[in-house]
Amino acid sequence: MEASQGQNPNLNLNPISVGNSLPSSVPLWPTIDGPLGLSEEDALSYARKFYKFGFALLPLLWAVNCFYFWPVLRHAHSFPRIRRYVVKSAVGFSVFAALLCSWALTFAIGGERLFGSIWDQLVMYNLADRLGLTGWS
Amino acid sequence: MAQNQSHTRRSVLDSLGEEIVRIIAPVSICMILVVLLVSILNNPNDSSSASSSISSIATMAYSETTSDSSWDKFLGALLNSLAFVAIVTVITFVLVLLFYLRCTKFLKLYMGFSSFLVLGFLGGEIALFIIEDYAIPIDCITFFLVLFNFSVVGVLAVFMSKMAIVVTQGYLVLIGMLVAYWFTMLPEWTTWVLLVAMSLYDLAAVLLPVGPLRLLVELAISRDEEIPALVYEARPIMNYDDLDPRSGVTQRRVWRDSRRIDDSSLNNYESNSMHEDPSVRESHQVGSEEGQMYATLPLQAARLTPGFEPVISRSHGNNSTVDRNLVRAEEGHVLETNDDSQLSAPLIDHGRNVQLHQREGDHDDDDAVPTSSESLMLEGIGLGSSGAIKLGLGDFIFYSVLVGRAAMYDYMTVYACYLAIIAGLGITLMLLALYQKALPALPVSVMLGVLFYFLTRFLLEEFVVQCSLNLLMF
Repeated sequence: MEASQGQNPNLNLNPISVGNSLPSSVPLWPTIDGPLGLSEEDALSYARKFYKFGFALLPLLWAVNCFYFWPVLRHAHSFPRIRRYVVKSAVGFSVFAALLCSWALTFAIGGERLFGSIWDQLVMYNLADRLGLTGWS
Repeated sequence: MAQNQSHTRRSVLDSLGEEIVRIIAPVSICMILVVLLVSILNNPNDSSSASSSISSIATMAYSETTSDSSWDKFLGALLNSLAFVAIVTVITFVLVLLFYLRCTKFLKLYMGFSSFLVLGFLGGEIALFIIEDYAIPIDCITFFLVLFNFSVVGVLAVFMSKMAIVVTQGYLVLIGMLVAYWFTMLPEWTTWVLLVAMSLYDLAAVLLPVGPLRLLVELAISRDEEIPALVYEARPIMNYDDLDPRSGVTQRRVWRDSRRIDDSSLNNYESNSMHEDPSVRESHQVGSEEGQMYATLPLQAARLTPGFEPVISRSHGNNSTVDRNLVRAEEGHVLETNDDSQLSAPLIDHGRNVQLHQREGDHDDDDAVPTSSESLMLEGIGLGSSGAIKLGLGDFIFYSVLVGRAAMYDYMTVYACYLAIIAGLGITLMLLALYQKALPALPVSVMLGVLFYFLTRFLLEEFVVQCSLNLLMF
């Protein structure tokens, strides 16, 4: 029955209730909001835009992309066009987060022993004092 | 299916509790976050922060010092508050004028820029306070990168029409928290008098026929436009059994979707969110807008940082018998998925009126009454739907300011004020259901909160302390 092929992208505007014969691994809606979220075409454009804008040093946008399209990420064979972008965003976010965390931890734990005098110049509270960033309140 | 039939007569009571909880929860979260910030940042031993007050528009008439007498402080606070309310009134009228003149593009750009500044500057400032107080060894590269990400994603979340609901709601609560914390840094007397003054202003601006917010609402209604504003919208209750197979994507519009191609219709500079969204009149709407945020920027200039509110209005048809909110005879508006809504970011006045606009829509009845009488005239069709309750960000901010200021004294006042505010919010929701028109949400809660604060501070604390000292109870 057509209703059971809810995964057919052309029919995704058909939110038949999940109680019937759909296999449980097929999500009806690509977004985490379900019926309150996007349709598939809009979802594709959003996923693409989030992915592309994430390259502007915005890994959080990649993370939001993965969160927003969580059903796509979770079910391995759903919405193939959206899934490409979401998987690439997830990879990008993990790589970026790993790099950032390692740098931040190295900085925090290594401290002056590792960096020498540069540490004092880079650490945020000294910088804030020098630039007077909090002095105006 | 029998299952469907048994659910066709869902009354409003089935979802009322959940809807109220979905609006009280974020208000409570915002208040708790502000209390946390106040607790960790305001060290009473740190005399430099306690006695110095920020210079901003709110203190331009008078700067409180600890050495003045009580009467002087009171007069000074009164002057400050009057100046602030006057400025807010003027700005609201400017907003009404701009909305009347349909200046869209400029407003949008300005709003986007200022929201970025608010999230970036205020958020960064508060993060710097925390870093300095606790000597967290974070380096500047990481800090700026994280801050940049946070503010850009925040601006997108607040402005984009279809971002994840949780992300949008979370960022709105964060914006409310940041601005509220900023306001708790005002001198004490000024804060209290300002709260009372803003609630009186709210009352006047919404209910008086000459009030700017009421003018704005009427203007929006007469043009059949939505007033975009920073509004927190609770997730609507979904009745899955009644989902119409034809209904497609639930209509959820963040920005007013102008059905006539009028690009000026979206720019609503007015912060008061009157949620007169014609397409979602059925939705429960609690509107309050958030006024401009006056923030002191590093250059010691008092700057107007407008807040903006996207009007989030959701409506979804959940009854297969009537294709609800989405069909309007006079507009020919049919089921539409997210089309390109224009972004409009209205300026919100601080502490504007909170308009609670709740619609008690019966989900299944065709004769469900739209919230406001105006929408009755415009619609012609009374469609019920389960919308969501909306509360403007100005309410979040002023409630949190009250509780934050109470936290600066003692936690006992925090508990009392929290209960008072929630009670006031409940009363306002009831009044909204009763009157079915836009109502200000600030007055009842703030007045109750202020009353409870002073009663607790001067009466209850004495009692409790004496009982404890004498080992009587507690």
